[in-house]
Parts: sequence; structure tokens; C-alpha cells
Amino acid sequence: MSALQRRDETPDVGVPVLGVRRVAPEAPHPIVLDVRDFSVDYGVGTQMVTAVRDVNFSLSRSKVLGIAGESGSGKSTLVYAITRLLRAPGVIRSGSAILHVALPDAHDEAVDLVQADERMLRKVRWSHVSIVLQSALNALNPVLRIRREFDEVLKTHRASMTKIERRERSVELLRMVGLSEDRLDRFPHELSGGQRQRVMIALALALDPDLVIMDEPTTALDVVTQREIINELNELRSRFGFAMIFITHDLSLLVELADDIVVMYAGSIVERAGALELYDAPRHPYTLGLLNSFPPLHGARRELTGIPGSPPDLANLPAGCSFSTRCPFVMERCRRESPVLRPVDDTRQVACWLHEPGASASVPVELSRRRRDLAPDVALSKVESR
Amino acid sequence: MSAPTTSSALLSARSLSRDFTTRAAGRFWNAKRVTHAVDDVSLDLYRGRVTAIVGESGSGKSVLARMLARIVTPTSGQLVFDGATLDPHHKRGLDYAAQVQLVLQDPFASINPIHPIRHCLERPLLIHGAASDEVDALASAALTRVALVPPERFLDRYPHELSGGQLQRVSIARALCVRPKVLLADEPISMLDVSVRLGILNLLKGLCVSEQLAIMYITHDIASARYLADEVIVMYAGQIVERSLGTSLVDEPAHPYTQLLVASVPDPGALDETRVVGQHEKLEVASVGCRFAPRCPHAMEVCRTTNPPNVELEPGHVSRCWLHTRDAHAGHHVSSRRADEGGDI
Repeated sequence: MSALQRRDETPDVGVPVLGVRRVAPEAPHPIVLDVRDFSVDYGVGTQMVTAVRDVNFSLSRSKVLGIAGESGSGKSTLVYAITRLLRAPGVIRSGSAILHVALPDAHDEAVDLVQADERMLRKVRWSHVSIVLQSALNALNPVLRIRREFDEVLKTHRASMTKIERRERSVELLRMVGLSEDRLDRFPHELSGGQRQRVMIALALALDPDLVIMDEPTTALDVVTQREIINELNELRSRFGFAMIFITHDLSLLVELADDIVVMYAGSIVERAGALELYDAPRHPYTLGLLNSFPPLHGARRELTGIPGSPPDLANLPAGCSFSTRCPFVMERCRRESPVLRPVDDTRQVACWLHEPGASASVPVELSRRRRDLAPDVALSKVESR
Repeated sequence: MSAPTTSSALLSARSLSRDFTTRAAGRFWNAKRVTHAVDDVSLDLYRGRVTAIVGESGSGKSVLARMLARIVTPTSGQLVFDGATLDPHHKRGLDYAAQVQLVLQDPFASINPIHPIRHCLERPLLIHGAASDEVDALASAALTRVALVPPERFLDRYPHELSGGQLQRVSIARALCVRPKVLLADEPISMLDVSVRLGILNLLKGLCVSEQLAIMYITHDIASARYLADEVIVMYAGQIVERSLGTSLVDEPAHPYTQLLVASVPDPGALDETRVVGQHEKLEVASVGCRFAPRCPHAMEVCRTTNPPNVELEPGHVSRCWLHTRDAHAGHHVSSRRADEGGDI
């Protein structure tokens, strides 16, 4: 049999085996990052828009949290604010982001990143929290060789290292992401998009951080390269045990990579659940719409509808639930009051009035059962008649 | 399902090639290197049919579209439009531009930001000789065709006031307002938000059926090609490596590159399967033999020396690979073909 086997059909055989893929959760992992009531505005006064609204989440060591949402959902703003990289007119209005790490001379092991001063941030950034940006071409200095990028980081944060040690560490980091030593003397333009993104990942891991934030690291790459980078990230994570926040608009990619997924819409979290549960049984209409927006690779071709309307305009959000103008299951109450995130069962939370106990309408079948139990013609789509 | 509505092709490419000469980066500063961006590509576009071209960046798919639009002159090969062979070196006339229109990838960049939408729709109409008193009605009609209704709400707005999905619709309306017969869509959804992509795909499909347009849909997303297209063509390094009618190419990929492509797509429905790891991420193109050979897990001796033949696996499904020939080494058969799943519906 060839190594390049095409996978076998039915998507619904996979579920029992799926857990194997991930690190088995034995002992509870210590929490690395705890974000509470986090809100971010752009601008002040009458021109102000709220880009992130009352976001809560926590992340444990060696776990991957996926943040999904389309442009304008506040996912990038959220992580820029947490890492304090947000520039004016962005303002953190409220909330805390507690990072639990072992700092050399801090009194305890928790730092509130929102309150931290420049000195503290300098200690935390890169050594404990690092970030990989979307466009590696813009993030790497075009007039510096790759060697200089590594050198600079190590010089700044590991002053005791000698030149030879720095070189050795750089080579080791490049090897880790599958690049050869000779790339060190190249300029960014001499590398392909995938190689640049690998360099960025190697740089992010240079100081052995506790938390790595990935802001759409594979969006600009083609699928084959994306697949390789994802595989590598998984391997690196199981080797070094760092926690990861992975931002993307590609929900199907997240389902493969992440342990937990939060779905954001117009600055708020609308659903959070384990990755497979979210894929298998979405509970928020927006999540369902996102999942239905990706044409499948298997099965009969049928017409998909996606999500009607256009992405939210933060300056002009509808009253009540911000998704109400695009929601196929909208009720009277949705237009008046905005729902809050509340648990629907042990592991997941949804912000939707449909799941409110005593809601006026019963929960639609698409949002109450597992997707694979639904006949194809029930699931928001009709069989193509060509 | 995929039978062309007319028996003859509307626009055909016959062995189109395009080379670009670049200065080689190396010791000899004046040494020239030739890149074969598109190499011997033949394809037919039919009325009422969507043909998808799938390939990664650098595979030559955009150059191909520009050659079909006659913006880029082919190095060799011919274009046949509506039965007439076109002289490749002859300048593209207005009449050809009116028949074959191109929709570009990034609507934010392809629509002039300092003019309202009205300007961007009326300009092509005036250039193509519409009477000035009916231009307004034609522009409104074009917006209606792409479901931007009511058109009055959009005509006097500026591009920055519209979302990406709406702008891409304007871009399609601009291409449609001169009543073309062929629409070449170069990655029309890759810059758009996930939730509005399907809207654009469904719009293209609808236009193809209702107006009998011949559509060429260029993409790197093989799942969207499967969703939309009647014929799927996979390009690698300027060459067509596999083509088929309907969904059989994605359901049963025969060429090793197509298999790699399909296996790389994130697919939560098949998580338990062993994943294929690509051979080498860098686009290494062999100068002799099969261009995919340096990355191919099944590469044989013959692949490195001789160009692979086109093998017709079943009617309409052609793959350019030595593995499908009878001389292929017995142990190297690409056993991807699944008997138990019907490719077509």
C-alpha cells in the first residue's frame, strides 16, 4: 500500500478513535493564562467602538485554545491586548489577564498583564509569552539575515550567552522546525512563504516560552505547506509542553488542532466547547453557519447556504443579540435583549436565547442533535438536483 | 451531469505556453534563466459550465487566466474563440474584451477607491459604446444581477463603505455589464470572509446556469472546486497533471500531487486517518522528466528522465503520471481508487 493513501470514506467512523490523537488528559494541567471580563475599545467618546466585550477564558499548560471568527470579530484585538501589544486608539477598558509563570524575582508566580509595567512586560514577553504573526514577510526585517534575528533575541534576553552558544542555539532552533543550518545566512526574501513562517515559529520558541500565540500563521500559505506546519506544531507542543492560542478563520483547521475552541462574533464569545463537540454538535447558530460554510470533501454535492448578510460592523451593531440580523432562527427576544454566555452542559457554554430554559421556541433540530445524525436534507441545505 | 450544453467549446486553449526569462541569482550575473510558467496547456471552456483550475501558488494558474484574457501574450500555442483561431500577437480588440472578462482576486485593490461604484460600472459601459442615457439603467441592472439590491443604495457609495463580499460582487457586476460570454474568475473568494464565500460561489454557479456563461474558476481550495465545478483541472508547475469531469478527481485522486493536495485539506470528518506528510515544502521543479518527481513519494527511475504521458483512466479523467502506465513497476501502483464509493451523484 502506498504511503499516500487516500483516506477512506464515511466521516462518521472517526469519532471513537479521535481521542488518540491528543495527549491523554490525566492530571489536571496547571493554568497558564486566566483572562477575566476582558473588554477592549477602539477610540474614546462618541466615536468609540467596542472590539472585545467581556471575554473570559483560561488556558492550561500544553493545551491549545482555538479562537475562530471572521474579520471584525475581535480575535486579533483580543490577543494583542492580552500581550499589551495593542496600540492607540486601542484601549483596554476593563478586565484582567493573569499569567501564571515562574518569574525569577517576582513575589508570587502570577502577573496581571493588564497592570504590568514596561519593566515587567519586558521580562514576560518572549521569555514566557511569544507571538507568531500572520504575515511572516512583514514580521521579519527584510534587510537583516535570519541569523541577526535570532542573535538579537538571545542577546537581549540571555545576555550571558556567548557568540558561539547563540549560533548553536539558532541552528538547534532551525533544525527543530525542519530547516537546515544554511538558512541562517539568508535574507527573508530568499525563503519561501512556508520557510519564513517556520523561521517565525523557531524565533517564537527561542526562549522556551510557556505560552505561544499564533495569529493566523498559515492563512497565507497553501494547503500542503499548512499541513506540514500544523503537524510540526503538534510535535513541538508535545515535546515542549507550551500552551498555545491559535487564531484562524478556518474552523475545520481548528477542529483538528485545538483542544478547546471559542467562537467569537462581533467582539463577544458566542460559543465555547471542546473541539470535537463543537464540530459534531454546534449549539450556536453562528457556529453552525460557519461549519456549513466549508464545502465538504466527501459525499454528494448539495447546495450550501453559508451565512446570509455580511460580517458585523462594530460601529453599527443591531440591538439585542449582535447575530440576530443574520440568524436563521431569530426570535422576538433576540432583537431586544442580548444573550450572555451560559453553560448548556458540563463542558460547553453558549450565548443564545434558544438554549435558555423556558425559551419561547423549542431548540431547532440542527442545534440540539449531533450533525451526523441529521439527514443531509434537514441540515440547512437541500439536495442538489442536477 | 457534466455534459456541455453546446457540443463545441466556446474558448479553447491549444498547447498554450508562456516562458519568463529571469536573471539567474548566481555567480554569472548576466546568466539568464527561463521559467516555464505555463507549459503546453490545452483546455476548453463551454457555455453553461464551470471549469476549475486548482494549484498552489506559482503553479501558473493566474498566468493562464491572463493569457486567456489576452493580457499576457503566450510564448507559443493558440487560442480558439467561438471557432475562430486568434493570432496570439495581434492586439486584443474591444470586441474580445467584451466577450471575455476577468475578475481579480482582491476586490479592495481592483476597484478604484476614489470613485463611487457608479463610476466603476459606467466606465466599461461607455468604453464599450453604450449610449450615455441608458448607462445608468445598465449599471443598475448589473448590480441587480449580482444580488446587490436595491441598486440605488449601492451606486453612489464608495468602495470603502462596502464589505469585501459586496465589493467582490461589484467586481463581478463590472465584468458582467458588458455582457461577456466567458468569465475568468481568478481566486475570487480567497480574500473574503468565510461566511460570505459561499454566497459568491453560489452567485457564480447561478450566473453560469441562468446566463449560460462559460466560467473558469481559479482556486487553491480543492474543496470549493469540487463544490462548484463541472470539470476540475489540477496544475503543478505550469502543467496540467490531472483533470476530470464531476467530482471524481477529488473523490478518487489518481495523480500523487492531487492525492497530496486532497490529503492536506483540513477535514475534521476524517481525523483518525493517518496523515500524509508532504515530501518537501519547497517548490522544487525538475528540469527533465516529471516536474513533481522531486516531491513524489512514488518517484521511479523513469520519472526523472522522461516526461510522463497523459493516461485516460476513465472517460474524461486524465492523469499525467507514469504510475498509470502498464510499464510501471508492479509494486508502485497508486492504489487510491476506491471501488465502493461512487464519484458522481
